[in-house]
Amino acid sequence: MALKVVIKKEKVDDARPRQSARDDDKTEIEARILELLRKYPKGINDKILETHMPNLDIQIRVDVINDLLTKKKMKLFQAPGTNELFWGLNEQPVSIKLKEVDKEENVVMRIIEEAGNKGILNKDIRDQSGLNLTTINKILKALEGKNLIKSVLSISVAKIKVYMLFDLQPDRSVTGGSWYTDGEFESELVDIVNQQCYRMLQQKAEAAKLKAMDGPLIVRNASFLSSKEICQMISDMNIVKFNLTVEEIEAILETLVYDGKIEMRMVSDGDERIKTYRIVETLLSSAAIVRIPCGVCPVIVKCGTAGEVQPKNCVYYDQWLD
Amino acid sequence: MEKLSAKSDPIYLGEAIVKKALAVMIQHNLVKFQASERNNNVAEYSMMHHNVYCLIRYPKYLYMIKRIYGTSEEILLEILLNLGQASASNVIFHSANRLNEANDSEVLSPSALHQSFQRLAQDNFIIRCPKLAENATLLKVPTLEIEEKEKFAVPNVEIEPIARMLKEKATQLGGHCDSEIIWRVNHERFDIELRNVILVNAAARRVDTTAGELYHLILKLWRESSNPDSPATTPVSYNVIKDAVRKNDSSPILLEHFDHYLRVLHEDSAGLIDKPGDAGGGQFNLDYSKVFENLACASLDSIVLERFGSKALRLFRLTRIQKFMEQDQMQNVAMIPAKEAKMFTYKLLEHNFLQIKELKKGTSNFAPVKSFILYHVDLPQVVRTVLEASYKGLFNAMVRQMHDLTENKRLLEKHAMLESMLERLKGDDGVPEEEIAELSDTMHPAEKSLVEKIHLMSDNLTLGQTQADETILILESYLKFKSKEL
Repeated sequence: MALKVVIKKEKVDDARPRQSARDDDKTEIEARILELLRKYPKGINDKILETHMPNLDIQIRVDVINDLLTKKKMKLFQAPGTNELFWGLNEQPVSIKLKEVDKEENVVMRIIEEAGNKGILNKDIRDQSGLNLTTINKILKALEGKNLIKSVLSISVAKIKVYMLFDLQPDRSVTGGSWYTDGEFESELVDIVNQQCYRMLQQKAEAAKLKAMDGPLIVRNASFLSSKEICQMISDMNIVKFNLTVEEIEAILETLVYDGKIEMRMVSDGDERIKTYRIVETLLSSAAIVRIPCGVCPVIVKCGTAGEVQPKNCVYYDQWLD
Repeated sequence: MEKLSAKSDPIYLGEAIVKKALAVMIQHNLVKFQASERNNNVAEYSMMHHNVYCLIRYPKYLYMIKRIYGTSEEILLEILLNLGQASASNVIFHSANRLNEANDSEVLSPSALHQSFQRLAQDNFIIRCPKLAENATLLKVPTLEIEEKEKFAVPNVEIEPIARMLKEKATQLGGHCDSEIIWRVNHERFDIELRNVILVNAAARRVDTTAGELYHLILKLWRESSNPDSPATTPVSYNVIKDAVRKNDSSPILLEHFDHYLRVLHEDSAGLIDKPGDAGGGQFNLDYSKVFENLACASLDSIVLERFGSKALRLFRLTRIQKFMEQDQMQNVAMIPAKEAKMFTYKLLEHNFLQIKELKKGTSNFAPVKSFILYHVDLPQVVRTVLEASYKGLFNAMVRQMHDLTENKRLLEKHAMLESMLERLKGDDGVPEEEIAELSDTMHPAEKSLVEKIHLMSDNLTLGQTQADETILILESYLKFKSKEL
């Protein structure tokens, strides 16, 4: 004998039937609108809403849409061509975060989010939110503790911290690329890569000189290396833990050009023009005047036939003549 | 131009001495005279600065002539430098005397020397002095002139009187047929030669030694066809260069890869060869202003490197190549840490290697106006500063040398006397060994080593002066050709 299953009916508050109906309706309508949004990922406009839900009361529709907007489950945007208004599904589950923090933190979070990749300064947060310094610091500490945001040392603004969302990769303009770690310019790394590039070009030039019997044009052309090849060779050497891009290697090579040690030539390789480099000798081995003390004397301006600094008792000459 | 013998002047020397001094300087091409503008009967004397400066280059001249030709030409030039201005016969006579003193065995024939003299004149190393104009005897202050085509024309020289005088071991040549035709050293030609040496060395460094040879030949062709004062040479065609190379019996590599060498030299960024056109297989010339700009920049770079270091050099070159740079840009492009970059920038600024240009930005009337501060290199200004410093360096080396020699004058004179006495004794046979040893002991070995040290110091200082002169030549040439081009 089966137990008699008694279905307990929930006590419905009859006093306000319309409210609950409206609530139920609302959640249902929300769900349907979200479904529609998912179906048309490019966005839906009012017309589509009307065709799919013709019986919808405009007031209810407006309420639901406002709700969804505040909950950030959908967003409003303009079509690029016609400037018509469209609704779209908002993929970011920001609402989850919002449940955990309170309103002021919300504001700060939103500001940081808007800053996106580049991060935002403490001062700017203060300006945009209108909150005072101590409140902001407290909020930032709380958010950092919850691992929602992080601070990154920015190179452009002289060691000032910049805040951004936790999982975002900071933009190159903030961290300065491979040459900066923690906001510090790594001059040793730059020097090491610099010397390596120079040595590679030297080796190439020496290998080219072995072909001297073929004529100088062959020797010269054989001593060129393109920036891509150099980048490849540096990466193979594993001096740095991460991969250097071709642009970064070109920046290093440009400093060598400014040292006067190498020269650059643009060569067209098929469709594109690539930069090639080779070692050059200076026109003079050294300016002849630097071989006497006066050429490099730091007090040459003060030197004369009378006074403290004279060639007759010049210390530098004494050292040089010994 | 000043009158030097007024009685009230602090350096009153007496008219006779002044006249003699002026005559000596005119004889050596250091001073020239002309009729004063205000009074045609009075002569005004002015100094020829460049010739005075070239006194320091005489050893270089001799070395170059010896390298290009040989000993007899070197002696001819030395005699001419000693005499200042002299006629061809005189020079030949004295040179023959000098050579005969050196090798007692052979007697050099004056006609060989005459041919050497002609060779020097053909290559323009010596030049005729202007002679008296036709109406000169009528004027109180004579004028001198010379025609273009006569400048290097060697007159007929009578060899027999010279040979006769040599046999008689005379010390002076008497009257001779060409005593009116006087020669002097052509400084401009030697300047060109010194510049060519620098250019050939640069070409050899940039490519290789064979390229240096080729460049030397091309320089010769340019010199023969161009006006020495123009800022660029006249173009020489490819075929002419090839012929010259073939005739010159150069190395086989040069013949084989002649095209390549020409092309590599032409495409080099130093501007050693320019190609203004394609006629005759390619026209090639040399733009002095461009090439000397590059050489002057190389000199400045080397000076900055030795004085301040390689990071400063990078900043200097960067600013020079990019024309105008801001401080932040400089440190980013040069990849130098900010603090160091700032320090070097200010050091270069302090020593006038960099200049500042301020551009105001913002038009607000109230707030303090911010401005862009741009760094740039004003090349002529920097070159002039360094040139002045080089002159000073040269002067200092000379002063120091003079000082060292005069301080130890007594010691050096004693040593010189001792040496000459020893030589004379060694020449006479029959002087016992002990006397020689005793004589050489009059000077303490410490003193001897000191004398040696002084000689060594003096030699170093002379070499140093030569080095300073080289830099001065490059910088002066840059300024000279820069002003010509404008």
